[in-house]
Amino acid sequence: MAKYMAVLLDDKRMDAVKGSGLEDKIDKMFGGALNAFTLEISDEKSKEILDTYFTARIDSRGFITDVPIAFNRILFEEISKTKSLGEEAINAVLARTDEIKEAAAKESEYLPAPEI
Amino acid sequence: MLMIETPPPHGGRLVERVVRDPEMGKKLAKKCDAAYDIKPTLSDGVPIRNVYREIMSICYGFFSPVEGSMKKAEVERILKERRLLNDWIFPYPLVFDITEEELKDLGVTAGDKLLLRLKGKPFATLDIEEIWRIDNPEELAHKTFGTPEDNPEVVKEAFNAKMPGWVIYKSLNPVVLAGKYTIINEPKFLSPFDRFWFPPRKSREEYAKRGWRTVINHQTRNVPHIGHEFLMKDAAYTGDLEPCHGIQVNAIIGVKRAGDYPDEAIIEGHEAVNLGGYIKPERHLVTFTLWDMRYGNPLESMLHGIIRQNMGCTHHMFGRDHAAVGEYYDMWATQILWGKGIPSFGFPAPITDVPYGLKIRPQNMKEFWYCPVCNEIAYSECCGHTKEKQKFSGSFIRGMVAEGIFPPKVIFRPEVYKVIVKWWKEFGYPFCNAKYVTEKEQRLEVDLPDMNI
Repeated sequence: MAKYMAVLLDDKRMDAVKGSGLEDKIDKMFGGALNAFTLEISDEKSKEILDTYFTARIDSRGFITDVPIAFNRILFEEISKTKSLGEEAINAVLARTDEIKEAAAKESEYLPAPEI
Repeated sequence: MLMIETPPPHGGRLVERVVRDPEMGKKLAKKCDAAYDIKPTLSDGVPIRNVYREIMSICYGFFSPVEGSMKKAEVERILKERRLLNDWIFPYPLVFDITEEELKDLGVTAGDKLLLRLKGKPFATLDIEEIWRIDNPEELAHKTFGTPEDNPEVVKEAFNAKMPGWVIYKSLNPVVLAGKYTIINEPKFLSPFDRFWFPPRKSREEYAKRGWRTVINHQTRNVPHIGHEFLMKDAAYTGDLEPCHGIQVNAIIGVKRAGDYPDEAIIEGHEAVNLGGYIKPERHLVTFTLWDMRYGNPLESMLHGIIRQNMGCTHHMFGRDHAAVGEYYDMWATQILWGKGIPSFGFPAPITDVPYGLKIRPQNMKEFWYCPVCNEIAYSECCGHTKEKQKFSGSFIRGMVAEGIFPPKVIFRPEVYKVIVKWWKEFGYPFCNAKYVTEKEQRLEVDLPDMNI
């Protein structure tokens, strides 16, 4: 059964997708409190993601979660580039695995806290 | 009789093995034949357990009627029937394990008294009654948590190195010193843990002081999101002729898996729920137990029932995937144990309905989700908008936190999120990672007074 991934869209990302044609693909979550892209991931790609990233798991909703933050960041970049929520965006992310793992190693030690 | 009263401790009496008179503590320390410095159990160089937490929880009565490190016959009976030698039910082996080299250096035998030091200072004694060996720790780990073949009712996948509890048991040293522990130099809790320390005798006194006859416990290893808050509030509508008087949060404090929140954020996050008035402080008590989580779902829930019954709770809420990691157990395994029993673990009936079982009452709950149609946090057994529902996924929320996205109020109370950020700034990371766990094991949750012997 296919799995899903959600890419959250904060204000910066919402600005970045303006005029890209992707606006109508934005999902409203929690009564519109959160915006996200939802990608359907094939079984084959799900397995590849889970095998590549030790922390990755499938949650109770059937979503792949606990991937490195860099994975989500690069997934958003590739969605913006390919203007697609299809498999080409995921393939482009998987092609950048070395880069993601390098960033993930740094992110596992330190993450800057947000100013609130 | 409709009115429910405070249950007795598991085993009939609260274990309390803490010497509070320093002079008496010194006398006991001087009688010891050898001394041992407690250190964490490591896996790949990262701490996964510290036996000091087990000693604390045993000596302050959280694990009553257990009084010490278990003998071989007791461990074997637990693995077979989940019962202590005195017949009372208990889920896990608890042992004081050392290496062969350490045994040689100590030179102790059965009948000797061992002084246990923590942070370089006298902490406790172990009256050695038996020395035995673990022949095959991996087999012990499998037997501890079950296997799909032996426990098909609830075990779905064989346990492996991704399961922290399994790794704890697999990493045990081969020599077990079995016997009773006694704390001879009472540790002092560091902030913020000090204000949440309610060992069983104190928690029972606190409930009485507050006029709480019925108390429902919420188990946590998480900073509370709104789904947790509604679980607490709604589960508490059980009780007897009125809803439960008190809602107790009992956080498990100790080594956790990478990606869980730091202990400090967990405990203060729950406090923020009552400081923010979402559950008023008069009805809400945040407490903790020291324990390095085994993530053993139904077995962990049995331990949770024992702890909270010993603390004096009348009820315990249980949800989906209780104290679980991965998909090793059925997601409702805990509710199966409390609802009808798990014969392969030795319980053909619920663990409240077997001889020498528990008296605390389970409140098995399904799920809470956000429903955009109802425009509220809805209970899955009430809300009919199953297509529109949006579930609270802990890992999804962790991802949102890690990306620095300010969570909406429908996910986290702002006061709770501020606590996450407070400790994020302190540790440079919002979750447990190797650095946090390693530094925490040096710092621990306690300091010890000087004791010159």
